[in-house]
Amino acid sequence: MEINTMLKALQDPMGIPFYPVVFQVLMVLTFALHIMFVNFTLGTSFLSVYGYLKGGENWGRLSRSLAKAATVNISMAMLLGVAPLLFVQVVYDPFWYASNTLSAAWVMGFIFIMMLGYSLTYVFYLKRDSREHHTISPLNKGGIKGGFGIVAFVLFLLSGIIMHALGYQLLQPEKWLQWYVRGNSVDTSGISLHAFQLPRFLHFIIPSFAMTGIFLMLYAWYFKNRTDFDKGYLEWVGRTGAKMAFTFTAIQAIVGFWWLFSLPGGFNFFTNPFFLIGAALGIALLVFLYNAQKDPVKYAVPGILGAFLTIFGMSYAREALRMKYLGRFDYSIFTYKLNIDWGSTALFLATFVMGLSIIGYLLSVAYKSGRVTGEYAATHSMNKWGKISIALLLIWIVVVAGLGVIISVRNYL
Amino acid sequence: MYPIWEVPNLSAGIILALIAAFHILPSHLSTSAMWFNVYVETKAYRENRPELLEFIRKYSLLLLVFSYVLGSLSGIGIWYSATVANPRGISGLIHNYVWGWATEWVFFIIEVTGIFIYYYTLGKVDRKTHLKIGWIFAIGSWTTMVIIVGILAFMLSPGKWPETGNFFDGFFNQTYWSQLLMRTTLMFGIAAAYAIAVATRIKDADVRSFITKTASRWGIAGLILGCVLFLWYLKTLPDANRMLITALAPQGLKTGIIVSLGLLVLYFIYANVKPLTIRLFPAILAIAVLFGGIWSTERIREMIRKPYIIPQYMYSNQIIGKDVIAKGVSAEAKIINEKGLLKVAPFVPDGLREINEGNQVQAGKMIALIECSSCHVLDEKGLRAMPQMIRRLEFKPHAEAAEEVAEIEGFIDALGGYPYMPPFVGTSAEKRALATYLHSISRIK
Ligand code: HEC
Ligand code: HEM
Repeated sequence: MEINTMLKALQDPMGIPFYPVVFQVLMVLTFALHIMFVNFTLGTSFLSVYGYLKGGENWGRLSRSLAKAATVNISMAMLLGVAPLLFVQVVYDPFWYASNTLSAAWVMGFIFIMMLGYSLTYVFYLKRDSREHHTISPLNKGGIKGGFGIVAFVLFLLSGIIMHALGYQLLQPEKWLQWYVRGNSVDTSGISLHAFQLPRFLHFIIPSFAMTGIFLMLYAWYFKNRTDFDKGYLEWVGRTGAKMAFTFTAIQAIVGFWWLFSLPGGFNFFTNPFFLIGAALGIALLVFLYNAQKDPVKYAVPGILGAFLTIFGMSYAREALRMKYLGRFDYSIFTYKLNIDWGSTALFLATFVMGLSIIGYLLSVAYKSGRVTGEYAATHSMNKWGKISIALLLIWIVVVAGLGVIISVRNYL
Repeated sequence: MYPIWEVPNLSAGIILALIAAFHILPSHLSTSAMWFNVYVETKAYRENRPELLEFIRKYSLLLLVFSYVLGSLSGIGIWYSATVANPRGISGLIHNYVWGWATEWVFFIIEVTGIFIYYYTLGKVDRKTHLKIGWIFAIGSWTTMVIIVGILAFMLSPGKWPETGNFFDGFFNQTYWSQLLMRTTLMFGIAAAYAIAVATRIKDADVRSFITKTASRWGIAGLILGCVLFLWYLKTLPDANRMLITALAPQGLKTGIIVSLGLLVLYFIYANVKPLTIRLFPAILAIAVLFGGIWSTERIREMIRKPYIIPQYMYSNQIIGKDVIAKGVSAEAKIINEKGLLKVAPFVPDGLREINEGNQVQAGKMIALIECSSCHVLDEKGLRAMPQMIRRLEFKPHAEAAEEVAEIEGFIDALGGYPYMPPFVGTSAEKRALATYLHSISRIK
């Protein structure tokens, strides 16, 4: 069977419920957020163990904060992975499902690896806490408890390898049958990962340390007004962060070129506008981070915004690269069969806007309460925002239930 | 049709069922726990009983770790296992309900940020603000149920969707309301069972007794109302599905539901009368009993969907069985019967595209993998093991293998007559190949 025909045959006959470009933008945007938190996860979980084992006043304290941060970062990485997981299946279903079923055992393994890694992160965070409260014998230092953290980090790295292999296999439909077929029978075990490309993988992993550098700069900035934080300590955190951010962004640029040169020749990807924009943003970030060494705290907030913009640009370049790979077989998401469904599209968009406002309220409470030393007392406008958030949720329920009642009455009574 | 994943003796479907069963425990906790929490927290502030906050802290930590570590990951696990067990099925659902899931995802973000902030800011923000976060979480997480029930119910009873192809016609289908209300009431029973378990870890006897008594009342009310709504739910089921409960559901599952319900009601009554005698172990046992009950109902719900994965549209073996004209989709039986399954399916070895003497058994196996392996493992032992199924038909022993094969062919023709199996699709040469293969595995070695 021709690959082009096969891909067409695999596309879902139901079509898609809205214009493909909307799914693409949402997919890339949420992927960029996902990979940013993956970077924070890998970086904070690594540094929390590193600091723990290294010991000392500063590293010990930082390690404790980062262990807590890691638990939140993983949650966010997962949460933000769900959305691209959904959208990629809408527009790239033939590729996604083929790649996943070919390595099914790893797909399932991924879930258990994540469960174990996440649980160990909590063990590391909660157990080390208990050690510090009771200060037991110095013999116990490092050792087993550090081991939890190390294993967790290794498991996250392994999750990344699986994600990468699945994402890379899907770009190569010309090899699927050769991976599946054994003479006149088929290999249904799903126990192999079939493709791995080191520079591509590293291009997603190295930024963990650059992004965590920026994370540390933000940490120094965020706590600067808290009286219970030592000035010298915060300054050290900011400096360490800025140094890390710059060094690893430089390494990342080199890896980027390595990846570029290892792409199939015919792609001419270096002239692709998406790539050029992404690369330009990357270089600009490098220059920015060089300047940031002088005053990490001042550069922290623009730093994270710039870094996210770069990640977003790079994520779009990654998507453009996927279009190149799949264009070899005349596959384009823009010719996907349409079955436009305005009702459900409106439901999502309205919910999304409403959700942003509610999440905004929640994050503001977190942000404000962490910056003050004692108990945070909400201002009048914050109280109002909170009430509006609850009201929005209730209105949502009333509207949707009302719709449901109308439809049920019309259809069944 | 995508590559097949076989799990020796188990089948990919069982992996999915196991993960889905586990997911029940944290997911129902997540929708219900915060209602109990805000109730207790409000009381703590109104009646100035700060000692109650110890319970709040413990209960939210359970919620955070259990629901949002193991719960979220097992939820993603259901999706991943559905992806590898039945990719076309999940694809069909997603291509209809993507905006439903995306909406669900928005509430998922509210939940996750909400619970972290609720837990970490207890005692660090003013009371009113903290309660607001609790309310946002409680309502937001219940809303995830409002959405997911629509999709779950659709998988059982698609309402008017097969005719109109409309999102909301499928979503608000004939079992939507009964299921939503039933799950909502039952979820308070679940919150109560967990709350009692957490209360056993609290030192202050007054707090413990107060929490246990309150929770037991919630529990009894939730279970009893849930039962009444369960009966309503059974009434709203389409006839064909209700019939399958009698035909397919093992007696064990039905007994499981009734026994676990009875035990739990007794447990809650006892907890109400003697709150301080309850220890951690029996409290966890009660959660296990509860789990048994839910597991039985969910298994039955899965069973009575047969032979479809998406009712009135796609069979469990991922072959499209019915037209959905509103969406411009036609059934695949005709084209497959004409051209042959091994010709139109993409993931088939080239050597099997044409059937001949030499490859007949292998071709038969390929067909069985595609058409039967979603419900039967092809190994000797395991979930509805095919060799045993064939033997069960008790064909008369013939001298000639060919005659037995012919009888199996007759059975294959009759497949569509079973209420829970999809009809065979393919050419007559393919039917012969399948029968030859089935014959070859059913001989006792
Ligand atoms: C939708 C799921 C499903 C599919 C697909 C399916 N079956 Fe079944 N099959 C069942 C169920 C359920 C039973 C009943 C099992 C029991 O009673 O324990 C069954 C029973 C059987 C039996 C025993 C029948 C009897 O009267 O006792 C045979 C033989 C059988 N299946 C063969 C097949 C073959 C061959 C295929 C593929 C062409 C197939 N099945 C596809 C669900 C399925
Ligand atoms: C800490 C654990 C995780 C790590 C280290 C990780 C890492 C990665 C990496 C490196 C990629 C890019 C792969 C490539 O293009 O080569 C990726 C993509 C992706 N990940 Fe994750 N990930 C993790 C957890 C998750 C989880 C839990 C989900 C699901 C909820 C998820 C969903 C996705 C999706 C949907 C993509 C994009 C696939 C595509 O567009 O092709 N990830 N991840």
